[in-house]
Amino acid sequence: MYILLIKHFFRSKTVVLAFSLLMLLGMLSIGSGKQFLNQKKIAITKTIEQQKKHIKTQRKYNKDDIGLLSYYLKFSFLKPLEPLAAISMGQSDLNTDIQNVSIVALEGQKHNTDLVNPMRQQVGNLDISFLIIFLFPLVIIALNFNLLSEEEEKGTWKMIKIQSKSSFKFLITKLSIRLLFISMTLGILFLIASFILEIPFTESFLDIILMSYLYIIFWFALCFFVILLRKSSNTNAIILLASWLTLVVFLPIFINNYINKTYPIEEAFSMVIKQRDAYHKKWDTDKKETLNRFYEHYPHLKKYGYKTEGFSWLWYYAMQQLGDDDSKEEREALYNKIKKREALSKKMAQFFPPLQLQLSMNEIAKTSLTNHINFLDATVKFHEDIRLDIYPKVFEKHHPDTVDFEKHKPKFFRAEDNFSLSKNSFSTILITLFLICFGVFKNLKYFK
Amino acid sequence: MQTNLVLLITKQYFKKTFYSKGLFVLLSLFLILLTYITINSWSIFEKRHNSVVHHQKESRNSWESNPDKHPHRMAHFGSFVFRTQHPLSIFDSGIETYTGNSIFLEAHKQNTANFSEASLSTGLVRFGDLNVALLLQLILPLIIFFIGYASITSEKENGTLKIIYLQGATIKEILFGKALGLFLVAAVFFLPALISLWSISFLDSHTTNAEIITRTLIITLSYILFFIILCFVTVIISGKSKNSNKSLLRLLAIWLLFFIIIPKTAQVVGNTIYPNLSKIEFNEAIETEIAKQGDSHNPNDPYFNNIRDSILKANNVTSVKDLPFNYSGFLMSKGEEQTAKIFNKQHKKLIQTYKKQNSIANRLVLFNPYLAIKNVSMGFSGTDFYTYTNFLSQTEAYRYKQSQYMNHLQMKFISNNAKGSEGKINVVEKSYWKAIPQFSYHYLPVLDTIKHQLISLAALGLWLLLSVIIINYFSNHFKII
Repeated sequence: MYILLIKHFFRSKTVVLAFSLLMLLGMLSIGSGKQFLNQKKIAITKTIEQQKKHIKTQRKYNKDDIGLLSYYLKFSFLKPLEPLAAISMGQSDLNTDIQNVSIVALEGQKHNTDLVNPMRQQVGNLDISFLIIFLFPLVIIALNFNLLSEEEEKGTWKMIKIQSKSSFKFLITKLSIRLLFISMTLGILFLIASFILEIPFTESFLDIILMSYLYIIFWFALCFFVILLRKSSNTNAIILLASWLTLVVFLPIFINNYINKTYPIEEAFSMVIKQRDAYHKKWDTDKKETLNRFYEHYPHLKKYGYKTEGFSWLWYYAMQQLGDDDSKEEREALYNKIKKREALSKKMAQFFPPLQLQLSMNEIAKTSLTNHINFLDATVKFHEDIRLDIYPKVFEKHHPDTVDFEKHKPKFFRAEDNFSLSKNSFSTILITLFLICFGVFKNLKYFK
Repeated sequence: MQTNLVLLITKQYFKKTFYSKGLFVLLSLFLILLTYITINSWSIFEKRHNSVVHHQKESRNSWESNPDKHPHRMAHFGSFVFRTQHPLSIFDSGIETYTGNSIFLEAHKQNTANFSEASLSTGLVRFGDLNVALLLQLILPLIIFFIGYASITSEKENGTLKIIYLQGATIKEILFGKALGLFLVAAVFFLPALISLWSISFLDSHTTNAEIITRTLIITLSYILFFIILCFVTVIISGKSKNSNKSLLRLLAIWLLFFIIIPKTAQVVGNTIYPNLSKIEFNEAIETEIAKQGDSHNPNDPYFNNIRDSILKANNVTSVKDLPFNYSGFLMSKGEEQTAKIFNKQHKKLIQTYKKQNSIANRLVLFNPYLAIKNVSMGFSGTDFYTYTNFLSQTEAYRYKQSQYMNHLQMKFISNNAKGSEGKINVVEKSYWKAIPQFSYHYLPVLDTIKHQLISLAALGLWLLLSVIIINYFSNHFKII
């Protein structure tokens, strides 16, 4: 019986079509993921090479003036992408993962973007997460919407009811074949992905796999629920498609719009203006006051005194420093808003499995907005370390040849891992169970 | 073909469809959504516009309030441009969400445009934007497919097709009649959306009338064309299918393929075939080329030494100190000229690469009317790729002008004995800061947009022609039984 049903299932054109579509797009998405990773890898090697070359060139151009040399030197801070990022690219194409900063004020530098075609950003990435969130549900719907209604419409359901021991078991069998097929397809995709993208089977990868399977089960549960409403095939198709459209297309758009409206970010503009003004206007204000404020921030540098006659690099870098210090309020307001946006997103996404999966995947793959903000925060620390190392050398007017700038090799950002599977899958499990129970409960009388 | 027969079928189909309960629910939902989206997008636009104007003013005020200064200090003080959006972006926000909104313009350094709305959004932004164009481009086609999938098959299934045929209507008349009827039903949906579009163009006060009305007119006509094509396609598919179920599945497959998969895949493939330089490579390319030319900040550079010697000769002096103008100002203006040229060359290359990446999707407009209407809608709403690159070149032109203005002030007013740019000694009077005009952004002229979108406009026309031809051919080979 089971074998017969399987044979019947695989003979249908829809199955072959669904499988080839998913595989074709799967390969394409894995391919584009591979290219994405490669490009980032190349960019990292290039950055490391370039920094060496850059320091050499600048040393040649500014042989005697350490202040000027330090002004031109740029140091790189990198966020290496994990292979998992190829599965869920998230926001990583919108925000740069290479910071290239000099020791002048940081605010004007760290928000610079990478060069990406906006048309590409608009259509979004074709990664496996898109495939799973967007297309798999459609295939699941196409396979399941007429599971029961077709038999009823063809008149075969009555025969089944007479012939088989339990018609409910028959339905479950049919459903399980489809679930098996989709699970296998997804499994194959993950296997190929792990092989081509060289993803080790770590806990993070397993989290992504588990979340994806849970998501698929959710859609099966939804189909199961709708099937058991016992409407016609046509109605089922329309109900399921409308659910898909709402859950996968409309809701994310609405919620994103709502979040951005609730927390509009104007601080970005105010911040950049403030940062510029705070630095540049110091050229016209009392030097002593500037230095005083600089020493307030770094008391241990106070020994360099108050030379106010003419230009000095001490005063120059103090002015730059104050550009950052004075725009602190706006910067914090901006970051706070971003954190609020992320928190609200997560909160609302809880109730909708597609959104929850997307955000979770980004979080696991470390391609979320929060992750970028953490990177920016780490950049501040990186920048300060280099500044504090170079400042004394500039203020003491060391000769450039005696200073080891080369020791500042490009550094890598380490992202923290604090994804909790149970927290992020709880609501989806609950919704899924509810759908199954409700469907069964309503139909108890039909299935003996 | 008898026109009155076609109209009769049209009328009958329209009435039958329009007075069904399901459609009424759908229409109400659509209208509520449309109203909400229009009001919402409008208020967001106004807010953003005010914020841009406010910050632009603030930035300018701060520029003008600078005291007497060395002009090179002003060259680095620089100005901000916050991007103002075209009012029609309320209707179709195109790539607006993904393009940088603030750009800092200073001497000898080209900064990127930063802080795009998307870069400050959470991962949910990747599903699309909430605007009227979304309803018209993605949702309404789906609605049309849902309404029209059974237009012919139901007549087949009920056996009424034979009766209509026997009563004297040809298949061609039936097909055209149904398509027209379907179009009229669709019109009930899209006309309110177009009214929302026109109200934007009439009520908006930020642009000139003739310009925006031309844009609105082209958008309107294109959408009408697009929906006619869709109605034809729906009726053809319905006519070709054995039963309603198959017809619905086919139309849904078409929607998925043409509206989601092909556009996405085309762009991804384009990016894969023509990868662009990353910023680090881009900057490296510029740095190498500048190093070849010479560095204006380096006093011993041979290229700039040559310039110095010829300048000394031309002015009949032996030392730069005796020149009638400030030599370092002159040097910097030369340097700016060089670096700007090199940057522009590289930037042009980058834009060319982007264009190549887009070319796959742009060529596919001939096969995919959705891509055509998407391009047209974006283009004439002033939210497409060309509008953005045009904005970038405008800012670069302004940056160049501003830097050279400062260099000329330095040449004119700063003594050759001046050392450094610090303090109150070597300064230019502050009235000069006010004298440089503010950056004013000009939208891409509509004629340019027409030029860029010609192929998409033509594609819509071609598709219309094609679908009429197919209906004609198909009706000659139609099997009624």
